[in-house]
Amino acid sequence: MKSLVCLKQVPDTETQIKVNPEGTGIVTEGIKHIINPYDEFSVEEALRLKEKFKEGEVVILAIGPDRATESIRTALAMGADRGIHVNDPAVNTADPFAVAQALAAAAKDVQYDVIFCGHRAIDDDFCEVGAMLAEFLGLPQVTLVTKVEVAADKKSAILERDIEGGKETVEVPLPCVVTSQKGLNEPRYASLPGIMKAKKKPIDAKNAAALGVSVEAKLQSKEYSMPPERKAGKKIEGLEPPDAAKQVVQALRNEAKII
Amino acid sequence: MAERFMSERNLKFVLYEVLDLESLTKLPYYQDHSREIFDLTLDTAIRMGRDLLAPAFQEMDKQQPQLVNGEVKVHSLVRTFMKESGEGGWIGAGFPYDAGGQQLPTTVAMAAGFVFGAANFAAGAYPLLTTGASHLILSFGSDELREIYVPQMLSGKWQGTMALTEPQAGSSLSDITTRAEPTDEGYYKIFGQKIFISAGDHSGVDNVIHLMLAKIKGAPLGVKGISLFVVPKKRLDPDGTLVSNDVTTVGVYHKMGYKGCPITQLSMGENGDCRGYLVGEPHKGLSYMFQMMNEARLGVGMQATSIAAAAYYASLEYAGERPQGRKIATKDPSLPQVPIIEHADVRRMLLFQRAITEGSLSLLLQCSLYADLAAHSEGEEKERYDLLLDLLTPVAKSYPSEMGILSVSQGLQILGGYGYCDEFPLEQYYRDIRIHPIHEGTTGIQALDLLGRKVVMKNGAAARLYFEEVYQAITPALQDPTLKPYAEKLQEALGTLQAVTTHLVGFALKGEVELFLADATLYLELFGIIAVAWQWLLQGLAAQEGLQAGPTEQEALFYQGKLMTMRYFYHYEFPKIQGLATRLTDGVAVTTEMNRELFAD
Ligand SMILES: Cc1cc2nc3c(=O)[nH]c(=O)nc-3n(C[C@H](O)[C@H](O)[C@H](O)COP(=O)(O)OP(=O)(O)OC[C@H]3O[C@@H](n4cnc5c(N)ncnc54)[C@H](O)[C@@H]3O)c2cc1C
Repeated sequence: MKSLVCLKQVPDTETQIKVNPEGTGIVTEGIKHIINPYDEFSVEEALRLKEKFKEGEVVILAIGPDRATESIRTALAMGADRGIHVNDPAVNTADPFAVAQALAAAAKDVQYDVIFCGHRAIDDDFCEVGAMLAEFLGLPQVTLVTKVEVAADKKSAILERDIEGGKETVEVPLPCVVTSQKGLNEPRYASLPGIMKAKKKPIDAKNAAALGVSVEAKLQSKEYSMPPERKAGKKIEGLEPPDAAKQVVQALRNEAKII
Repeated sequence: MAERFMSERNLKFVLYEVLDLESLTKLPYYQDHSREIFDLTLDTAIRMGRDLLAPAFQEMDKQQPQLVNGEVKVHSLVRTFMKESGEGGWIGAGFPYDAGGQQLPTTVAMAAGFVFGAANFAAGAYPLLTTGASHLILSFGSDELREIYVPQMLSGKWQGTMALTEPQAGSSLSDITTRAEPTDEGYYKIFGQKIFISAGDHSGVDNVIHLMLAKIKGAPLGVKGISLFVVPKKRLDPDGTLVSNDVTTVGVYHKMGYKGCPITQLSMGENGDCRGYLVGEPHKGLSYMFQMMNEARLGVGMQATSIAAAAYYASLEYAGERPQGRKIATKDPSLPQVPIIEHADVRRMLLFQRAITEGSLSLLLQCSLYADLAAHSEGEEKERYDLLLDLLTPVAKSYPSEMGILSVSQGLQILGGYGYCDEFPLEQYYRDIRIHPIHEGTTGIQALDLLGRKVVMKNGAAARLYFEEVYQAITPALQDPTLKPYAEKLQEALGTLQAVTTHLVGFALKGEVELFLADATLYLELFGIIAVAWQWLLQGLAAQEGLQAGPTEQEALFYQGKLMTMRYFYHYEFPKIQGLATRLTDGVAVTTEMNRELFAD
């Protein structure tokens, strides 16, 4: 069972984010980066499929600056077999369209039964790359997947996906693009033997020219800004509980205008 | 629990900038390692600490282990964590490849232990004990013992313990009475009682392997008659099934803290069918056990440090958020209250915590580095590191343990009344950390070891080497205007230490052993403050270097904070050595002359 896992490195959820002085993005220096959590589900699922079929390969494909290798190595330490690192200033910060184009170009040289993407990346939250990638490769796609059952002949899979209020079960021919959702699995921790082995696993570095893509942005971001600071709340004091409750309701209706 | 329980930045500062951990990879034994591997290892440890261990920190305290039908039931995390520790390779991380390990430096393993301990100290204890116990079998056991036990222990399926203490023999191990009777079958029959055995029985594993001290019938009196045995809870039948080995769990103690890990009372041979397998040669057991005890002593120091660190971050977070009072110079009641971190006295308490924890961490990692260097060098160099490690082990066990308690206490103080209540973790940290000056040899016993043995061994060879090491920090620091005053203080303190040592050894030379050792604990305290001052000077040097390299704004703040904490240590903690030195050399006997009768009323 061969899987191609698209993986993005994102700022740690626990990092304090600051917008850079030019307002063109966030300050990335000096902050900790992690594997996008949804991509971690993908890595885990791909490893489980390989283990289940007792054969195959898990290839990690990441776009990003030098530091993205750390995240590829982490995935290799979890058990993935090799990495492809597309590192090109033109693509690293490009919009979802260009990113999906680059991923599609890189995927052309890889054999796979399934491509996993996170259903979104927790930094820009576009939720677009997986779908565009499937489109560029002419593959079927199933989004928000929480369960994967691949048929013994690897020609199709039964997938469970999140829908509002419940689950939908779909059957899809392989190869396809799957976008991973929380609940798919519990990703494993890298093991120390895995970490030692990861060092020796190959990571293939590529730039846009090598992939034959020319990046053409469809999206222009105008400005980055921090959300306004939360204002201090209003305290209603010195009243009996029933009167206080009335005041709260009035404040919600007249001042906050939310009920 | 607070959001943050440790600082990755600080851990990496000590490892890479103060101790130059990467230089270890030049040794052939560590040649497969690199900074990248160390970072990935620490990163994984931090994630496990955060996602796996920390969430159960309070729950394990509330649901203490229970003895049910002869077995101790523990929190479900114990099994999960033992499994992860086994499968992840953490238990045997430092072992050679051919013994199933990863040849990871002890220094990195200790750093990971720090992370686990800060997240959930009680949970972290289980694999740690298994590492020490399996290392004993690996070092001194027969091939057969190694084959049967080590793989199961490294996989986390079988727990390892150290079973030394008995009701009448705690500090004084020469008084143990557990006996081993030889048989013709190659094993011994064990009879006796052990108490306080950590993880001595629990539901988180399939078997428990006790590394037990006992006396073979007819052995010489005292420590020269102690042998070491592997005594499993369940032994393997010839057909490969596990059967009872007549080790009964008679009780589990109710402790003030550290509740997530049981200490048990065990009874061996109630039915005359408890088998023990000799490790190494007869009567050499205590010297073997010292390998595990010395490792465990550094482990205890590290656990104390990790609890103190977690407490520090919890009180730091609180101090930034709790509004109370106004700046002392602007007592205008119409102004809003300020967060308590704005008060100098609260900052004093925070700095105290930081100075103790970061100083202790650095000392312990320094000792771990000596352990790595000693294990993988030869000849004179090996002897050098062995001696330094021997000398500093009682200090690195006791300083963090004793000062850690005070540090957590100040942390609790920062939370005021909330510190005393269980909605906040400080009261648990305070209870948890209290064990550390007691187990693995009390502070009193460590002090006797330091002054009575280590300082004087080989005519003071270890102490001389230690002075040389300290001078390696003093010499460059004297060239730096910012650090010079502190380097001078430290230099002077070495003179003080020398004078005190000479004075005390004078009693020994006159045969007045009681006077020589009566205040050994104060001597240990003095020694400890100087050792941590040395580590702070090293940190000061590294911080200065960091500042000169043109750091980012955030990094510069880190280094400046370091220097300020160093300053705190030298101006607030360091002067205590004068009082100690005064007492230690004033020649007036008090404790030795205070008769029992004088305590009458
Ligand atoms: C939570 C916990 C976990 C433990 N885990 C283990 C374990 O896994 N395995 C194990 O074998 N044991 C374990 N122990 C036992 C522990 O090591 C002993 O409690 C410790 O060594 C002290 O022995 P004791 O309790 O008998 O105290 P004692 O030896 O009676 O000491 C009482 C006091 O007298 C002082 N004292 C004793 N002798 C001297 C002396 N010669 N000179 C000066 N002062 C002296 C001591 O410093 C101490 O202050 C554990 C204990 C606890 C509480």
